[in-house]
Amino acid sequence: MNGDESPGLHYFAVKTTSKQERTVADNIQKAVEQSDIKVYAVIAPKELKGYVLVETPEEFARMEQLVERVPHARAVVRGETSFDEIQHFLVPKPVVSGINEGTIVELIAGPFKGEKAVVKRVDTGKEEITVELYESLVPIPITVRGDNVRVIDTREPDD
Amino acid sequence: MVVRRREKILPKVCRECHRLVDGDSCVICNTANLSTDWTGYLVVLDPRRSQVAKKANIDLPGCYALKVR
Repeated sequence: MNGDESPGLHYFAVKTTSKQERTVADNIQKAVEQSDIKVYAVIAPKELKGYVLVETPEEFARMEQLVERVPHARAVVRGETSFDEIQHFLVPKPVVSGINEGTIVELIAGPFKGEKAVVKRVDTGKEEITVELYESLVPIPITVRGDNVRVIDTREPDD
Repeated sequence: MVVRRREKILPKVCRECHRLVDGDSCVICNTANLSTDWTGYLVVLDPRRSQVAKKANIDLPGCYALKVR
């Protein structure tokens, strides 16, 4: 626990039905308004599929009571997490972090899906990268979204 | 036969405060700079007591996007 963590706050993970994370977060809000159970915030990060995180001063048993009333919420995960472990979800880093010029990537969406390419330029502000297809005879620059690629190799190509 | 893909319509969020908005402008920021390209969801119920709201620089209760493009 670090210095800026408030005492008495608990962070529980609530298991949800698949793809209903946002619905569950909204439903928890409605359930809290109709009961005396206190919840301060609900987080549904994109990276955490099938779960939402609940910030509450209440104990585990009270959260179980709440979840029983929430449609699409399945159970409260036993044990709790800390603020330190969840705060990285609140300040998401750019998707192009870790991608530099010369990085070999695979396109995972769009018309060139499955093709390998070399990164030629990175636009951190727009979160876009410009690539050239690896096996193309004529080098054509293609600009794609940073989340449409998967990094294969971070080394500079030999030839 | 035409197969129609069911597309999920995401609500708009304000690019400045990341708050989900109903109309064509954000009532908090008074801006029409909105986006439908966002991920992550945060519901703040008590911003004064919430550590999460403090970290996300949120001082009004409501629904927010974590990442907006």
